[in-house]
Amino acid sequence: MRQGLVLLAMLLVGMLAFLALDLHWGGLLPTSGGWEILGEFMSAAWQPALDYETPNVPRDWLPFTDQLLDAAWRTIVFAAAALGLSLLIGSPLGLMASSLAPTWLRVPSRVLIALMRSVHELLWAVVFLAAVGLNTAGAVLALTIPYAGTLAKIFSEMLDEAPQSPYRALHLAGGTRMQAFFAGLLPRAAPDMAAYAFYRFECALRSAAVLGFFGYPTIGYYLRLSFENLHFHEVWTWLYLLVILVILLEAWSSALRRRFVA
Amino acid sequence: MNERLAQLYRDRPRSRFLRWSVAALALLAVGVWFTGEIAIGELFTARRADNLERFLTEEALPAPMRQENPTQSVAAWFGEIWESRGREGLLATFWISWLAMTLAGLYALLATPLGSRTLMAQDPYLRPERGRGWRALTTAVRSFNVLLRAVPEYIWAFLLLAVLGPSAWPAVLALAIHNAGIVARLGSDVAENLPPRPGQALRQLGATRAQTALSFLFPQAFGRFLLFWFYRYETCVREATVLGMLGVVSLGYWIRDANARDRYDEMLVLIALGALLVLGVDFLSWLVRGWVRRAGIEGPRSRGSRSS
Repeated sequence: MRQGLVLLAMLLVGMLAFLALDLHWGGLLPTSGGWEILGEFMSAAWQPALDYETPNVPRDWLPFTDQLLDAAWRTIVFAAAALGLSLLIGSPLGLMASSLAPTWLRVPSRVLIALMRSVHELLWAVVFLAAVGLNTAGAVLALTIPYAGTLAKIFSEMLDEAPQSPYRALHLAGGTRMQAFFAGLLPRAAPDMAAYAFYRFECALRSAAVLGFFGYPTIGYYLRLSFENLHFHEVWTWLYLLVILVILLEAWSSALRRRFVA
Repeated sequence: MNERLAQLYRDRPRSRFLRWSVAALALLAVGVWFTGEIAIGELFTARRADNLERFLTEEALPAPMRQENPTQSVAAWFGEIWESRGREGLLATFWISWLAMTLAGLYALLATPLGSRTLMAQDPYLRPERGRGWRALTTAVRSFNVLLRAVPEYIWAFLLLAVLGPSAWPAVLALAIHNAGIVARLGSDVAENLPPRPGQALRQLGATRAQTALSFLFPQAFGRFLLFWFYRYETCVREATVLGMLGVVSLGYWIRDANARDRYDEMLVLIALGALLVLGVDFLSWLVRGWVRRAGIEGPRSRGSRSS
């Protein structure tokens, strides 16, 4: 009953949104130039560019394939730096926000986590851009704030969900809280936490790539330039590069997960 | 005793692949800071410090606070931003993300049963074997889901903006496409992980596939599904804000506008409005899920909400 009501309410608010946004069904039809762009874009999918589509690229640019590798490497660097830092901040923060922590510590930690998460990484990037100017370390920090918050939130939930009895038993048997935590609780939660960290690395790769839209030299930077110049073959090359990075990482992490579980 | 412990320790499961992976990752996470790509030193130069100081002590402060003889109060200054852009942007962000998630949810309602391998079998819940046709169906649905979510929403929005021209559709569709793939996948996983007993009982009583889906699969999976839906919705609100920077009139549009005019005080206010919206949505999700759960539909309080 309540399920049906919730579904109905969702639909009704959705229709309200349709009206409030002043949308028309006609808006779903591509504009006359739009058809052309769509056709060109889609047909370019089968022929990703292997070289620049125009001979007049800036003189200091690398050859196309080198540029691909360079941008991929920078994307990985941004993502790895941000995720490493996020783990460093997020792990203790997650412990502080879990029900193992006393209330006076838990509540402010959770508020802090909510605040870190409530602003999108790209907006943090814009703020850092405004505050210190274009600086790669600033971009890494921008990624780190919401990522550390999310890791902390999920880690704290995983610690709370892990079976608590070994921890209690060890503590009651005379182990310190620290010993009980590291021997009784953390080993149970660690595989989940590691798997989740890997998933976030995948997200970080995507975010780092999109950060390029704001001028940092990652995949998104070249993607945007190619798009604005209507070089759709190049666009697809960049897209495939991003997808390959994500798939490689996914293969690695699922191979690891199999060994964790086994 | 101690010898036995030492023996156990020596015999513990070890994996060379695991060790190498952890070592490689640790090396990567630490090593990247020394590649020179991340200009951490440059962040602390005098010029950056000046920038930061100017930002914190002047630019970020509300305009009336830094004028000698302010022409308006801070409240009036905020009221003006709220009236001219804040309210409109906030509402647009809310509507865009809701409509996108409604569309994604509708797709997921359809794709969840079609992609769940337990339901899509010759004899669902009674016999495990699945013919080639059923297998092809679930594989096709799940691959399509992957396709939908593989491309980041910014790139969808970028393309759609060029194809459809300016309206809210590009943002709505970009978010809907990307999230449809995610919600459908999560939904199918939830449906497959349900304890199968009630389904078996229904089938043994002679229920058809559709009846089993309607009276077992949907009600049982709904609580978890709602959790995932709201988790994606919250993400969607954040992203609808950002998509505005590509030209759709959500909060992001005005954030970029303030940024371009170097009015950082206004920019920060607009960003804060977006953050408030996210926190509000979080609260709404908590309320709705509690309300549904109290009807006892979700069954015994499920431990865990491995959501984000």
